[in-house]
This record gives sequence, structure tokens and C-alpha cells, in this order.
Amino acid sequence: MNMAINPDSLRPVAADLKRDLLVGLTLAVLVIPQAIAFSTALAGLPPYFGIYAAIWGTLFTALLNRSPVFHGGPNSAMSAVIGVTLLPVAPQFGADYIGYALTLIMIAGLIQLLFFLIRPLGRLLDFLSEPVVNGMICGIGLFLIFKSMTGFAGLPVNTEVEWPLWIAWQTFMAVLEIGNLYAIQIGLVTLGTILCARQFSRLRNVSILVGIVVGTLYSEWLNHRYGLENTLVEQTADFSSLGLVYPSLPLFSQEAIPDIIAILPGAVTLALLGLFQTVAAMRRINRQRGTFIDSRNGIFADGVSNALLPLLSSLPTCASFNRMSVMQNMGATSRLAAISSALFLLLMMLFVADWIAIIPIPAMAATIMVVGANMIKWDEIRYHFNNRPEAVVFVASFVSVHLFGLFGAVVTGALLALAYAKWEKAHPRIQLQNNVLRIKGNIYYGSLPVIEGTFHQAARRYSELVLDFSQVHHIDPEGIRWLVSVKDLPEVTLIDRRSGGERRQGGRSRRSDRRREVCL
Amino acid sequence: MLSNLFRIKWVRISTIITLLAGFYFAAVVAHQQRAAQREQPVLLTDNCRAKLSRYGLEGGEYYRSPYRRDPGTMVPVRRGYSVADIRAIERGCVIIDDLQGEQAQASIERWNATRFVRGQQTSCDHCHQGVGDKQGADGRPQIGSLSLGASWVMADMYDRFTGLLLPFELRQMQCFINSSNGFKPNIADDLIRDVTAYSRFLSAALDLRIGQRYPEQGIDEVTVSQTLKRGDDYVRGEALYRQKCARCHGAQGQGLRQDGRTLVPAVAGPDAFNLQSRNNFSFVSTILPGFICRNMPLGEEGSLEPQQCRDIAFFVSNLPRPAGDKQGPLRAAWQQLMMHGMPPLVGLMSELTHGTGAP
Repeated sequence: MNMAINPDSLRPVAADLKRDLLVGLTLAVLVIPQAIAFSTALAGLPPYFGIYAAIWGTLFTALLNRSPVFHGGPNSAMSAVIGVTLLPVAPQFGADYIGYALTLIMIAGLIQLLFFLIRPLGRLLDFLSEPVVNGMICGIGLFLIFKSMTGFAGLPVNTEVEWPLWIAWQTFMAVLEIGNLYAIQIGLVTLGTILCARQFSRLRNVSILVGIVVGTLYSEWLNHRYGLENTLVEQTADFSSLGLVYPSLPLFSQEAIPDIIAILPGAVTLALLGLFQTVAAMRRINRQRGTFIDSRNGIFADGVSNALLPLLSSLPTCASFNRMSVMQNMGATSRLAAISSALFLLLMMLFVADWIAIIPIPAMAATIMVVGANMIKWDEIRYHFNNRPEAVVFVASFVSVHLFGLFGAVVTGALLALAYAKWEKAHPRIQLQNNVLRIKGNIYYGSLPVIEGTFHQAARRYSELVLDFSQVHHIDPEGIRWLVSVKDLPEVTLIDRRSGGERRQGGRSRRSDRRREVCL
Repeated sequence: MLSNLFRIKWVRISTIITLLAGFYFAAVVAHQQRAAQREQPVLLTDNCRAKLSRYGLEGGEYYRSPYRRDPGTMVPVRRGYSVADIRAIERGCVIIDDLQGEQAQASIERWNATRFVRGQQTSCDHCHQGVGDKQGADGRPQIGSLSLGASWVMADMYDRFTGLLLPFELRQMQCFINSSNGFKPNIADDLIRDVTAYSRFLSAALDLRIGQRYPEQGIDEVTVSQTLKRGDDYVRGEALYRQKCARCHGAQGQGLRQDGRTLVPAVAGPDAFNLQSRNNFSFVSTILPGFICRNMPLGEEGSLEPQQCRDIAFFVSNLPRPAGDKQGPLRAAWQQLMMHGMPPLVGLMSELTHGTGAP
């Protein structure tokens, strides 16, 4: 046996390794603006929460989830849920708020673990069809655009929850009339840079980074020229003193219990939104790569990570569609890409922390607007409008985000998905060709009324009726009871048309597929 | 053809830049328009002119109020007001007195206040009577009259339900959202600043001290302990309402409007306060009775017993009114149905039973 290592055989391995590390480095740079923007502009938490989520969240999910192209880390929708849930509970960025946020994330992680431990619950997530998830993601995208308008103009955040769609025009007018013009300038410069950079294919992936850099430089120039006391543009907080690990504890005190109970719906929303995206992302990867990895891997990884991340002062994690598409495009081959992105970012923490402090909030808001607009992808929505039930489910899910809030949208989405699945099942295709009644689908309590109706109509018309059950996939106990009651009628006989020999061998009859018939 | 044009990169880029520049231009124009608005002299309503001249609002280095709370005490000298300050105070006063802009000469004057109100009839001085400073015949502030000046010196209060700290500005926003059934102005909006300026001026004119609790602040609430303690009665309330209130407010509380001016405000229906307002008996059961006992019926104030006030408030709060913003779209739709469907039905019923037409 030849133990010598052939350098030629290692070459592809080395090339893969190099590419994965390059992907990791790119992702580490890409995730920084997202991490800061999500934590400060959406969740109302200090910026290091996003950065630690991009480090520890990515690392934990990469180690626990064996999907090769999976990238966890901070997520826009989940961050928005934290902000919306906790706004009425405590003032943002305060010590209490941070404590409640950590509690919220930990409860969400435990709920996600429940989804892993109780198998049927996890299976329930598979009922979330693409139109439901896409409708919710589009709705949240629009919500993010509205929500970032105040930050864009340097206005105070609205401190009470209301229907965003209802007051969007009010906020827009406030931006035009009383917004800080310096803040608007910085926001517009950032927005313009990002949108223009996206027109060039080479800059497309780093457009947000370019926009943030240009916006920050512009705000520095403004501050230099007019002075910070005149521009009054808010900046991101400095966290260079924090170090590589910043342990934290969720708030579980006696006084906090009523508030914790009040935010439980928010925790359920947080858990479900994370799982929706993870499961949908894993489904999409499976289809793109032609492989199959059980989505339970993702549920487990998310649940464990989110239960642990509150101890490391981090935002919750779930799959990121945009970063995973970058991974896919750059040809990542293994989990090394995600792991290395976390480690690269950990290294970068030592260098970038000082710079992050001067990023202006309006530039962050502009980033969120672009992220929100990116969540509305016409290419993916288009197909839902070809099929009417799908279109209805998509639109309802989209609208419910704005009408019922995020928790309401999650509930509506789940109900819609279940209703859609049941509706499909409850309508078997029934054809009457001469005196042959063909049933394609399931016979169960939901579809029985439909079948019975047609059966009795046909039975009245034909003296001899043949029922073809060859394309029935499933009969539930109620269906069997119905068949028995039909059989007990004097004029009905059940015949198995296979011969005795065929029945013993389990073979098929000559004339057609295996067929049970009811003759009247 | 247009889509072909947008395939060209530079067309797309220049479109983006044009749109963003257009947005900035619009913002600059709106800012200038607003600044010009703030420079204009304020057209005072009659009430405001009387109130402000009585308190001696004029420019100068010092402000010394002519009002004497207790005869013989000295009113402290305060820093005077600039021209811009005076305009802000005057605007605040006009907003309180005439939120809907009914008395304005040109509709443009209250352009930023009416935008935040949904109904046609709500105005601040329906509750904050006497332009936020109601005084009795003896010239002393009325107890529990929701005085704005006394409210300002309590500047930050803890919300009684949530326990959150509510600054004066946030309390104003709650008025806009719930009592006016409107929208929330941004906390940085100068609409809020103007009302705050007026309230501060009132506290200076009345010589109220920061942090003090004065009896004219808030409502003189009618608690259960002041009643018969047999529970509040809807039927009794309805009878009392017909007897004492329906003459002005209408049989179904829709108020009275004439020539585009509100003579009697609605206490129910689309123009009234909404379900989440604290005027609402089912939300806080002591506030509306307190208001009724102190201020109603007009000309016969104080003639109602506490139990009667509670019964009337109970009845009034159960008339259909708009849903609050936080109650969601289903509740809002239901309330719309009730507000527009019930009055004709109730009118029909009273016609059938009493042989009289609708109010």
C-alpha cells in the first residue's frame, strides 16, 4: 500500500480550501454593516449585539448544522421583532431593555428546541408553503422601509406601536418637514451610493459596505465643516473596549415576570420567524444542490444557538438568504466557509471596533431600506400569481403583516398554510364517465361530503354504477366506515376484480391497475 | 421601449440620482415653507387674545405676570420672551382653542394641526376648558379642570397603567391619538413644541412651581367610594342622559354642528374620542364622571350627584365610537359598522315605539 501523498490529488482540495477561506473573508466583511444596522436601527440594542451574533451565531450554527452552505447570524426580521416587542416594555438601549431582549431571545431559543423535540411540531413547519413565507418576507421588507424612515431623517423613534401602514404617510411628511437636513443628506448619499454600486456586477455584493463607507466619510466631512453640535447627527456607539467575549445574563427577576409574560407572543413570533427562514433556506439549498439534508438539523442548530447566544450578548440567529446566495455564487463547498467567516470577524473585531463608532445612524437607516427592498424579489414572487390559490395565500400573508402585526402574520401564515393544504386534500378529483365514477385523491372526513354528493347523484342516474378507487391514496377510518355502510345497502356489492392467483401473488390484474369496485 | 431604456446602466444610475435629488429638493422646499410659516404673525382667536392679554404676554427682557394667585404675594420676575417665543406661545394657544381651524381666517394657518386629527369636531378645549386654564367666578382655577399649566409643572409623570415615564410631549401625543382619535405627531414636531410653550407660559403666568401638584391639575375623579356602591347602571344612565344631556348633545350623542362650526361636541360616533381614550368609562371609570360632575350640564355645573355622573358616563361610553389604533383592524371595522349602522336603527326603533322621529 502506497502511503505517500500525491500532491496532484491534494490540488483540488487545496483549491477548495482556498476558495472557502476567501468566501469566509468576504462574508465577514459583508456582515458587518448588516450586523450593526440590525442591532441599532431595528432591535434597539447596542451594535456589538449584531457583531457577536455574526461571530457566535454563525459559528454555533455552522458547527451544529451539517448543511455545507448554511450561514447563520443576525437577521433583519428577527431584529425587527425584538424592537417591536420590547418598545412598550422599556426604553431602548437601556439596561432593562437589554435584559428583556436577552430573555426574549432565550425563550425563543427554548421554543425552537421544543420544535426539535416534538417531532410533529417540527413537521408542521414543512406546511409553510413558499407563498406564505415569501408573503411574510415581502411584508416585513416593506415594514422595514417604513420603520427606517425616522432614523433616515434623524428624527426620534416613535415610542408606541401602531399600524405602520396607517401612519407611513405621516412619517413621510414628518421626514420632509421637520427632518434634520444633514441627516437626510447623509442618508441620501448612502442610499444613492448603494443603489448605484448595485448597477455594477463587480460591486454588487459589497454595495452596502461601499455605501456605508461613503456615507460615513460624508458625515465626517459635514462634522468637520459645521461641527457635530450643529449637524446633530447621531452616531453608532463605540464598543472597542468590549473584547472578544462579552458575557451577559437574561433578566428573570420577580418584578420582570409580568412583562416577560407580556412579551411571550413576541418570543413565539421570534422563534417561528427564525425557523421559517431556516427551514425555507435549507429547503432551497437542498433543491439547488440536488441533495437532501433534514431540516431538523437546522431546527436543532438554531434552537441550541439561540438558547446559548443570550449568554454572549448577541442577537438571535437564523439562516440568511442573502449571505447564503453569496456563498452559493462564490462556490463554497464546505462548512469551513461559514466557520472561517466567524473567525475572521472575531479577528477583525480588534481592528474595526474603533471605526464602527463613527458610522452615522442615517447611513444605517439607508442600509435597512435597501435590505427591506431586497426582501421584495419580483423574480420569486412572480410565480405565485400564476395560480389563484397561491396568489390568495401570498397576498393574505403579505397584507397580514401590516394589518395584524408580526405575531398576527405568523399565526395567519400558519393557518393559511394549513387551510391551503387541507383544502387541496379535501377536494379529490371526481370524474363521472358514463357509469364509472373515478375518484382521484383521499377519502377522509374532509373529502367525504364531496364524494358522497357526487356518488348519490350518480347512483340516482345509473342503474349500475362502477366506482373506481384505483387512484385513492389514503382512506381514513371514517372513510372505511362510510364504505362499510354503503356495502350494507341491499343493492351494493363489493367486488375485488383480481383473480385468486393474482391476489395471492400480489400481482396486478390484466385489464387495469388493481381495482376495487362497488357495483350497484 | 421604456424597459429597453432602463437596460442601459447609465440611464438607471442617472434615474436613481435624479429621484434622490428630487426627494432632497422636496425636503428643502417643505422645510422652507414651514420656516416661513413660523415667521408669520399669528391670527389669534378671541379667547386667546383675551387670555394672553390678560396675562400680559409681550416681548421684553423680563416677564412679570399681572395674575395674583394669592393677593399679597410677590410674583417672581422671569426671563422675558423673544418675538419667536411669543409666536410659539400664540400658536400653541390657538391650537388649544381651535384645533380644527374653524375660526381661522385662512385655512393654511392650522395646516400642521388638523392633519393629525381624524374627526371633524374634536378640539383640545372641549376637555381642557378655558383654553387650558379654566377659572371659576372668583378668578381661582377650577379644581380638576385639566389645567395645562399645572400639568406642565408636573412635567414628567409615570403612566398609571404601564408605569412608564411619560414626558409632557408624550402625553400630548396620547391626546392626539385617543382623545382626538387622530394620528401621532412626531415628538420633534413643532406642533408639540408650540403647545408645550403655551403650557409653560401658563404656568409662568399663574405662578405655578415645578414639581408641585396643584388641585386644578388632572381630573377631580369620581371614584366608587363616592357613590351608592350598588354598581353603575346603564338604564339609569340612559334616562339621565335623555333628561339632562340629549337636548344639546343629541339623542345619540352625535353633537351639534352649524355652518362648519362645532357648537356642541359629539360624545359618540365618528367625530368623538375613541375607545382607547381615558375618557372612556370602560377604560378608566373615574375620569369621564369627574369631568361631567365638574363641567356639565352647561350653566348648571355641580348639579349632578356622583352616582348620576357615573351612570351617564357608563351610558355614553357604550355608545358606538371609533376604535383605538392599537385595537387592530377587526375592532376598527366592527366599530365603523356600529357607528354608521346603529343610529338609523335606533332612530327607527324610537319612531316605532314612541311615535317620534329620530332626534
